[in-house]
Amino acid sequence: MRRRARVSLIGEVTGLSRSKAQAYFELRDAEGAVPCAIWLNELEKLELPEQGLRDGAEIVIGGGPDYYRGNSQASPSFFFRATHIRLAGEGDLLARLEALRKQLRSEGLFELQKQLARPALPKTIGVVTAESGAARRDLLAGLRRRGWAGTLVWAFAPVQDRRAAPAIAGAIQDLAARPEIEAIVVTRGGGSLADLWAFCDETLCRTVAMLRVPVVSAIGHERDSTLIDDVAAVACSTPTHAAEAAVPLDCDAARSALGRSSAALRRVGEGAVGSRSRHLVALARGPARALRRERIALNQKTREIRASSERSLAERRAFQRRLALVVLDRAVRRAAGVEANSRRDALRRAEVAFRAHDPERTLERGYALAEDAGGEPVTSVAAAIVAGRVRLRFADGGVGAKIDPEGRAE
Amino acid sequence: MSEKPDSYEAAVERLEQIIDRLDSGQAGLRETLELCREGRELVTYCSTELDAVSEGLEELRLDELAAKLETNPAES
Repeated sequence: MRRRARVSLIGEVTGLSRSKAQAYFELRDAEGAVPCAIWLNELEKLELPEQGLRDGAEIVIGGGPDYYRGNSQASPSFFFRATHIRLAGEGDLLARLEALRKQLRSEGLFELQKQLARPALPKTIGVVTAESGAARRDLLAGLRRRGWAGTLVWAFAPVQDRRAAPAIAGAIQDLAARPEIEAIVVTRGGGSLADLWAFCDETLCRTVAMLRVPVVSAIGHERDSTLIDDVAAVACSTPTHAAEAAVPLDCDAARSALGRSSAALRRVGEGAVGSRSRHLVALARGPARALRRERIALNQKTREIRASSERSLAERRAFQRRLALVVLDRAVRRAAGVEANSRRDALRRAEVAFRAHDPERTLERGYALAEDAGGEPVTSVAAAIVAGRVRLRFADGGVGAKIDPEGRAE
Repeated sequence: MSEKPDSYEAAVERLEQIIDRLDSGQAGLRETLELCREGRELVTYCSTELDAVSEGLEELRLDELAAKLETNPAES
């Protein structure tokens, strides 16, 4: 039987164990499993990568049927004797992955999640991950570093075996059904492509693509690329980065920035009023200053005008005085002339009048003037009788005359 | 601001616009006072949003929430 044809089988390693001489495992695929064994010395010669042969690894084995004949304590058994092992070809898986990727992309499923609005500050985040694992711890640390302390809803699910893909899809759908959940993170640690194969599941990826809640994926490490990364809103290389993508806002920085904005607003608000009121006060002072200036200038002008007008007045007075003197002089002169004439006329009139009354002129007309011995005129009969003797004065001289009281006429 | 902002980002963006405008010194007194009032409302909104994720991380389990929902559907 050991000489039967050699064949190659492909499947996933499960139930790996080692004895002193051999490694045992089952090679499993969707149809079932085949018990396998390989001599350890042959395994070492294959120089597989460290941890290359482990549970969950997708491998291709070469070999043929073999059997264990059993002994007094162990039952005989058939198994597949592997003489050659290679890690399944990532080529095989990659080919299937690429075909599926092409298909989903052609259906536009890569774009749907990326068109969703991601809140900068979600209050509730759903997380799908393994209950025990570094990814959970790293995500929590990342969120704390972000200063985020909202509500996390954990949806724990297997992340590696055959049950993983449907369990993850179910958890995502359950989370998305809760209205308070604003973002979903799907994460697990690194591994081979075979380990991460659940995250390339077509049904899971279609579920994520059609979700209304943005999904942040952080599967494996940076070099790992799963299909869920393609359909998710954001693909991250680590759970820590997923925390930053799920909460785009750095909450601590936002709190500081908000404090600064608040202070800036207060400063500008108060400053706007303050500076304007100061400006207003300055403006209010302006007219007063201008008035004072004008008043000073006005006073100065007034003084100048007064001085000037006093000067001018004095000059004018002097001029007028001079003028008046001249006028007066002329008037005096003129007046003096008039007066002299009138005086002369008056004199003439007086002279005429006087001459009319002059006794000499009367004597010239034939009258005689009786004078007593003292030369006083004798103007009555009685005075003549008393005088006894009078002097008769004629125009051409006088003669004495004796008064005859007998000759008195009545 | 008479309406609630669409999102925290929208509020912060508007707040930055307001501060830029105020810093430019081109706003008149009336505009300045209105911008300050709108800015204060935005700050209050943002502060409330931040407070909602500042009161301590709460961890819930979906399976427990689902179980609770089944026993007390009225609470959902």
